[in-house]
Amino acid sequence: MLARSVENIFWLGRYLERLDDTARLVNATSHLLIDSHKDTEFGWPVLLDVMGLDSAQVLAGYGLQPQNPAQLAQIEQAVMSYLTSSSDSPVSIRTACSQLKYNARTIRQLLPRDMWEELNKLDSFVQQHCLKPASRQQRYQLMTEISRRCQMVIGTVDSVMLRGDAFDLFTLGRHLERADMVTRIMDVMVLQTLQPTQLKRPRFRWISILNALGGVESYHYYLANNATGADADAIDYLLSYADFPRSVSYCFNRVAASAKGLPDSPVILQHVHQLQHLLSRQPLTDLSTVQLHELIDQIQAGIINLHQVLLGANVTEPQQLTA
Amino acid sequence: MSLENFTGGRYPLHANCFDELVAADGNARAPATAIARFIDKHGAAELCTRQLQLNQTISDMGVCFTLYAEGSNIDRAWPLDVIPRTIPSSEWQRTSAGLKQRLTALNLFIDDLYNGQRILKDGVVPAELVLDSKNYLAPCQGMSPRYGVWANICGTDLVRDEQGTFLVLEDNLRVPSGVSYMLENRTVMKRVFPELFADSTIVPVDDYPAQLWQMLASLSPRGEHVPPCIVVLTPGIYNSAYFEHSYLAQQMGVELAENHDLLVEDDKVWLKSLRGKRQVDVIYRRIDDIFIDPLAFRADSVLGIPGLIAVWRKGNVAIANAPGSGVADDKVIYAFVPKIIEYYLSERPLIQNVETFLCQDPLERSYVLANLDKLVVKPANESGGYGILIGPRSTQAERTQMANAIKDNPRNFIAQPTLNLSTAPTLCDGTLEPRHLDLRPFILQGAELYCSTGGLSRVALTKGSLVVNSSQGGGSKDTWIINDEG
Repeated sequence: MLARSVENIFWLGRYLERLDDTARLVNATSHLLIDSHKDTEFGWPVLLDVMGLDSAQVLAGYGLQPQNPAQLAQIEQAVMSYLTSSSDSPVSIRTACSQLKYNARTIRQLLPRDMWEELNKLDSFVQQHCLKPASRQQRYQLMTEISRRCQMVIGTVDSVMLRGDAFDLFTLGRHLERADMVTRIMDVMVLQTLQPTQLKRPRFRWISILNALGGVESYHYYLANNATGADADAIDYLLSYADFPRSVSYCFNRVAASAKGLPDSPVILQHVHQLQHLLSRQPLTDLSTVQLHELIDQIQAGIINLHQVLLGANVTEPQQLTA
Repeated sequence: MSLENFTGGRYPLHANCFDELVAADGNARAPATAIARFIDKHGAAELCTRQLQLNQTISDMGVCFTLYAEGSNIDRAWPLDVIPRTIPSSEWQRTSAGLKQRLTALNLFIDDLYNGQRILKDGVVPAELVLDSKNYLAPCQGMSPRYGVWANICGTDLVRDEQGTFLVLEDNLRVPSGVSYMLENRTVMKRVFPELFADSTIVPVDDYPAQLWQMLASLSPRGEHVPPCIVVLTPGIYNSAYFEHSYLAQQMGVELAENHDLLVEDDKVWLKSLRGKRQVDVIYRRIDDIFIDPLAFRADSVLGIPGLIAVWRKGNVAIANAPGSGVADDKVIYAFVPKIIEYYLSERPLIQNVETFLCQDPLERSYVLANLDKLVVKPANESGGYGILIGPRSTQAERTQMANAIKDNPRNFIAQPTLNLSTAPTLCDGTLEPRHLDLRPFILQGAELYCSTGGLSRVALTKGSLVVNSSQGGGSKDTWIINDEG
């Protein structure tokens, strides 16, 4: 395959995962927030923070203030618009899907026909149904359908795509994006709501977060079978339980496995091993909230580095666009 | 079997036009019987349902073309009409023999022009027409590509006259496009009309990508014992035919390269792959030849690969179509093709040309100027249907403008009688109406000759219109070669 295509196939994997993860996140948090749990200390704007944005700034663009209780309905609408339907938003499902299609178009010669077709169906579905934010009644259905269609693409890839550089880079992109999203969710939705000095970490909210990650049942399995003592919690599980496909450990294992066959694998693997080492260093249950926060910051920085190494190591020159 | 049940009356055949599916007595022609029976049995509503299903399939398959509109690029869904166009296989046999004959002669002609120029010396084609043409590329002189073949891929536009006889309207020898739509049209139709394919008298079209690969592989300078590295060279994702470039690369399993993915070093062409440099043997270029190498042709080209022509001349890479092939793809040269066939092959042309007046010739020019309201005038070197005047549908102002253009540069214009292009029933607002169409088959020449099964049928969707180009509101039909030879 062309050296230039590395970037596109890698991003294809990342955007596909981002689309799926965002749809799951919207669904899970909508449930949580609509129920108005007494213990929820965060509101809709937190979703923007998860995506790595400054929620106050984004909402100011809509003429809204994040803390204003009188604007709750408008805030929900604005956040949903920004996460799903806005074409100006860099993080919306609609934008991610356009990027997905753009990258697919650029490397179509590497994609099996069935995958190309599933990508088209996904794109036309999103471009048709995500023109404005869905109502609460329709939201669940819509997000589930987007997730389902993402899974269709992945299923097709799994059954028909040649195992080679393109497949490895696609898989790598997906799992790096997933590790990125999981750590951001943990960072914003769990840690930022805890007191820095609080040692005993509360559990209440995690069920909804596990829901977003499709991991409630396997978490219960983990508690019943693997946990060492009562202190084992969702944070350990999400970071280091490598049997769970949305744990950060699992993602890094997949990244390492995918990188093995690539021409620049030594330098990539060096970075992955550093990340894996962070997670295996010590029992995570022993870490204080502050230490956990630091750990997640380190993981996030490592992911960014790895992304740059991947593209920098293989892309020989910046991509030129020809008219 | 007639279409009466469907149209709620007689299908409104055009006077003086051959209809592809319906004979003058209103009954379906033999190859169209199965379609007529289907329409008769299922009626209008079902046909409309299938058209919707077909449109959805096209969207799912991502079959599109790109329009340039005021600086932005828009992907449009490929327009395909639900009613196919049928041709009996016996007729197609004769037609494809004629198409192969024509390409063989044209390649002998091009090879002659860049080498001995025998045909010019013999006065069969006026030398100044060739040598003054901007498509005659001096850097190609003395070159003779493998098999002496320059135009390896040709898209020949055919039309039918009032009697239903196929005529050649033009030869596209530069970067003919459309074959991906021919292939995708068939894929779509098989999904939408599985019952019509069940009786298996429709000859398949899907061997084209394999034939194309084989033809390209036969050009490899390293011979048949080294697996050839073939690339499709595209101007990029914003090109109007990018869909086709990526489709063909995907179908052949070869790389789709832009100019900056290739480089020239040590008298060879290399592909910048993830796993280092790889020597390229054959380039299927989808870029106009004058843009292909800024060192040899247009110095301002940002699409080219510097030094490519030198490597090609050394015989270390094959380029299809060879640079310089466009010299025979000129509407003025077109007028001489019947003579060219007789000159090189000593055969009568199996397919005739459309009668053509050369504005270069003073007598013919004055005839053209006096009859602009009856003729179709075309610039010699445009494609995509641009710059054409259709006399009977033109305004006085357009005719005056064209007359001035002809007087300024007579060499650049030809004229032809306005043809009564054949029609075929087309679904328009829930009813079947005749619409004009043409046919573009694709002919390959490398070690061997090959002609596609049928081709791309392009249809003018606007009532009465003769313009079939998709860039100008044209649509398409699947072309069914129906086996009538048992």
